[in-house]
Amino acid sequence: MEALVRTWIEHIIKAVHIAKKDAKIYFFKWPNITFGLFLPAIIYLAFSVGRPTEIPSTIPGLVAMAALFGAGAIQSVALPLERATGTFDRLLAAPVLLTTIIIGKALAGFLFGIVLSAAYSLIVIPLSRTTLTYPFLFALGVILSAFVFSALGVCISAPFRDIPEAMPPATLLRVSMVFLSGVLIPVATMPNFLQLIAYLLPLTYAVDMLQQAMTGQIIAQLFLIDTAALIMFSVFFFVAAVLILGRTLQ
Amino acid sequence: MRALTRTHSIYESTKNGEENMKVVVKAQGLTKQYGDILAVDHMDLEVFEGEIFGLLGPNGAGKTTTIRLFTGLTKPTSGAATVAGRDVIQEAIKAKEHMGVVPEISNLYEEMSASDNLIFAAQLYGVPKKERGRRVKELLQLFGLYERRRDHVGNFSKGMKRRLTIAAALIHKPHILFLDEPTTGLDVQSSRMIRNLIKELNKNGATIFLTTHYIEEADQLCQRVAIINQGKIVAVDNPEKLKATTEEQHIIEISFSPSEDLESKLRGLTYVSNVSRVGDKYRLYVEDTSEVVPLLIDFGRENHLRVISINTLKPSLEDAFVKITGLSPEVMATEKEPVKREKSGSVG
Repeated sequence: MEALVRTWIEHIIKAVHIAKKDAKIYFFKWPNITFGLFLPAIIYLAFSVGRPTEIPSTIPGLVAMAALFGAGAIQSVALPLERATGTFDRLLAAPVLLTTIIIGKALAGFLFGIVLSAAYSLIVIPLSRTTLTYPFLFALGVILSAFVFSALGVCISAPFRDIPEAMPPATLLRVSMVFLSGVLIPVATMPNFLQLIAYLLPLTYAVDMLQQAMTGQIIAQLFLIDTAALIMFSVFFFVAAVLILGRTLQ
Repeated sequence: MRALTRTHSIYESTKNGEENMKVVVKAQGLTKQYGDILAVDHMDLEVFEGEIFGLLGPNGAGKTTTIRLFTGLTKPTSGAATVAGRDVIQEAIKAKEHMGVVPEISNLYEEMSASDNLIFAAQLYGVPKKERGRRVKELLQLFGLYERRRDHVGNFSKGMKRRLTIAAALIHKPHILFLDEPTTGLDVQSSRMIRNLIKELNKNGATIFLTTHYIEEADQLCQRVAIINQGKIVAVDNPEKLKATTEEQHIIEISFSPSEDLESKLRGLTYVSNVSRVGDKYRLYVEDTSEVVPLLIDFGRENHLRVISINTLKPSLEDAFVKITGLSPEVMATEKEPVKREKSGSVG
C-alpha cells in the first residue's frame, strides 16, 4: 500500500513538472496572454455593436470565454506541436504513464485559464461597477470552467499530429460554442433545437453557473446541475483524450 | 564517464553457448504491421550486456520501427520485446527506467536552455532533487556544453543538439542506451566525437543498441551487427565473421590514367564476377587474384592506359552486406525522405 501511494505521488510530481514545462514554453507568453485577453472582448464588441446590451449581463460570458480561449485554444496547439517536433516522444520514452502526461498537460491549460479568467474578472467587474454577490461560488465556476476547457483542448487535439490538422476543428468547435451557449444570446431565446444543442455544450453550464454566482439569483438545483455537468464533461474529455491519444500511438 | 551509466548487472537470462553473456534486450517474433506494410517481420534478437550492438540496414528497412518497439513508443502487432528483463508493454515503466533513448532527430525543447532541458529530463526520470544539479553540471561539462548551458537550444548547431540529446538520455544513468542513427546528418568532426563518446560509454559498462545505415560506422563501432532488410533480420554476427562469409571472393582495386568509364570493359574480363566504381578506382570481385592481375596489366596496355595503383583488398563489411542482402551499397547512401513522426505506414 505504501509503495502504491509512493508511486502515485511520484506520478503526480511528474505531472506537475510537465505542467510547469508546458506553462513556461507554451502558455505564459505575451502573445498568448494578449490573445486570451483580447479575443473574448473583440468577439463581444463585434456582436454587441448597435445592439442594446448591459455590460453586467455579459461579464459571465466574457469570463467563461477567457477560460475557453485561454485554457483551450493554446492547449489544442501545444499537444500537436509537441507531436510534430518529436518532443512528445521524449515524454513517452520516459517512465511516465500516458495518463500522467495528459494530467500534466491539462494542468498547464487549467492554470492559464484560471489566470486569464481571474484577470478578466478583476478588470471588468470593478470597471462596470457590478457587484459580485457570491465570490466563492464565482471562483468555483472559474475553476471548473478552466478545467473543463483545458480537458476539452487536450481531447480535441489528441487525434492530430500537427497544428494545421488540429486548428480547423478546434476553432470551429470553440466559435460554434460561443454562439450556442448563451454567451451572446440567452439560451432561453434560442429555437428549441438550438437549445437542445446548447445543453450538450459545457460552455452553457459554465456561463449559467457564473451568472448565478454573480447576480446572486441562485437556484440551488440548477447550480448543482451546472457543477455536476462541468465535472462530468471534464472527466469525459480527460478519459477520451487518454483513449484517443493511446490509440493514435499504437 | 564511469559514473554516467550503471554498471552492475540486473539481468535474468543467459544465452545457450554464450558463457556469462547476459541478455539485456530481447525480441521474440516481434512484428509490426502498418496497414499493408510489414515494417518489422517476426524479429528474433538478443543483445548482450556490455556490447555495442548495431542494426544495419538501408533506409526503410525497419530500423527506427525496431527501436520504437523496444523503447515502448510503438506497440507491436505481435510478438514480445524485453529490455532489462522487463516486457516493454506489460512492464513499460520499469523497462523505461533502465533505458536511455536518443532518437534520430534531436527532440529537445528548443525554447528551453540546455540546462533546463537536462533538469526536465531528470525530473521525468525521477532523479532525486539533490542530485539533479550535480548530474546536469557533470553531463554539460562532459559533452562540452557547460559554457552554453543558459543558451536556448534553438540556437545550437545540429552536433550540439545531438550531444545534448545524448546527455539527456544519460541523465538517469541507464543500463542500456538506444541510439537511432546517431551520426546521420552530422559533420565529420561531430560524428567522430559522437562515435568516441559511444565507445567511452560502452567501455564504462553501458550496453549500446544503435541503428545505422553507415556500413563503416557499424564496422568501427559494433561488436555485433544485425543486418536488416525489409523488416527481416538476415544475418547477425560480429563484423569480422560477417566479412568471412565473403572469403571465397577476392577484391582487386585498380586505378587507371586516363580515368574513363571502363566498367563494362572490365566486367568482360575472365575470372571477374563483378565490378564497381569507387571514386577514381575500380573494384573488381574476382575468383583468383593471381590470374587476374596479369590480365589487368595487359588490359591497360591494350587500351593505352597507365596503371596508377593496384591493390588487393580484404572483403569489407560492405561486401558482406552486398552479398547477404543482394542490395547495392549505394542504397545505404540514400538519405532518408523526411517523414512525419508517428505516421502510420512510415517505417525507418
